[in-house]
Amino acid sequence: MANGRADSVPHGQVLIDLVEAVHRGEAAATTTARRVVREHLGDAAFVDVCATIASFSAVVKIADGTGIPLEDYKAEATREMRQELSINDFKS
Amino acid sequence: MEIEVAGEKLPIRDNLVREIEAAWESLARAGTWWTGAERLAIAAEARAARACGLCQRRKAALSPYTVDGDHDAVGELPAAAVEAVHRLVTDAGRITEGWIGTLLTGGEMPALAETEYVEIVGVVAVLTALDTLHRALGLPLRGLPAPIAGAPGRHRPVGARRKLAWVSTLAPEDICADDPNPYPVHGDKNIHRGLSLVPQEVFNFFDLDVELYLKDHEIRDFAHEYRAISHAQIELIAGRTSALNGCYY
Repeated sequence: MANGRADSVPHGQVLIDLVEAVHRGEAAATTTARRVVREHLGDAAFVDVCATIASFSAVVKIADGTGIPLEDYKAEATREMRQELSINDFKS
Repeated sequence: MEIEVAGEKLPIRDNLVREIEAAWESLARAGTWWTGAERLAIAAEARAARACGLCQRRKAALSPYTVDGDHDAVGELPAAAVEAVHRLVTDAGRITEGWIGTLLTGGEMPALAETEYVEIVGVVAVLTALDTLHRALGLPLRGLPAPIAGAPGRHRPVGARRKLAWVSTLAPEDICADDPNPYPVHGDKNIHRGLSLVPQEVFNFFDLDVELYLKDHEIRDFAHEYRAISHAQIELIAGRTSALNGCYY
């Protein structure tokens, strides 16, 4: 991630690297990213990182597969951000 | 507890191990509209979809709904079920209300019942969670279990209506006396309502998901950390994973 925002979270870039490697399915990059997460955060954290990736890779199937809308409070909280990013244009 | 990864034992929460095992059993057990054998066929099809030539051509296309052909199916599921599973696995972010409508009304292939479709979504979601956990950890995929004998319950909630989403959902205020209540454990946000036409699928997925991620009341409890990583780290991972999957929700 080139914009540096991940660095506002402790070990953010290390976490992002693993997320992206798992998503791309690149064996070598994933192996490296796993090792780096374990070195920086420890083994228990590594397992919880993997669990979080699993959760959000799955929940998207429910959201996209059923077409549920954002809750009103979420829509309001993210209104400006969605306008800036033109995310609303992508609603099916 | 510990989990063995490439010869090393890593600590893992007891509750997570318990729910992983329960999730595997849920895939093998008769659901509400599909038998255990059929649910496992859906799971097998979900794994096969990643190598499907038609799905790869559609994924690469600017307009995936203009690409016709036959899926590289591995089982005996009806064609509409195969189409549903493959699209959910490989290109969920570009699913449209129109596509679901075509599946449910029939077109070039016999129609899929709305209840059957929602249960497929639940099975694909659980399988995706379990397989992604293995991929992230560096474990080989676990073999699918043997089916557990039993007949589907076949109860459609009387109060389910199509008013919130592209499929019928069961609003808390519409739950009738004979309808299972899918909300008392995990909450009733829209993501829970998405599967509520088949209430058991709400439990099958979210019993696992709250151990992978967080329970509903833990998500905004910033005074406590419930995992070996912080709320901020969890949400960074969640946000990036969702963005990579093209999830607007």
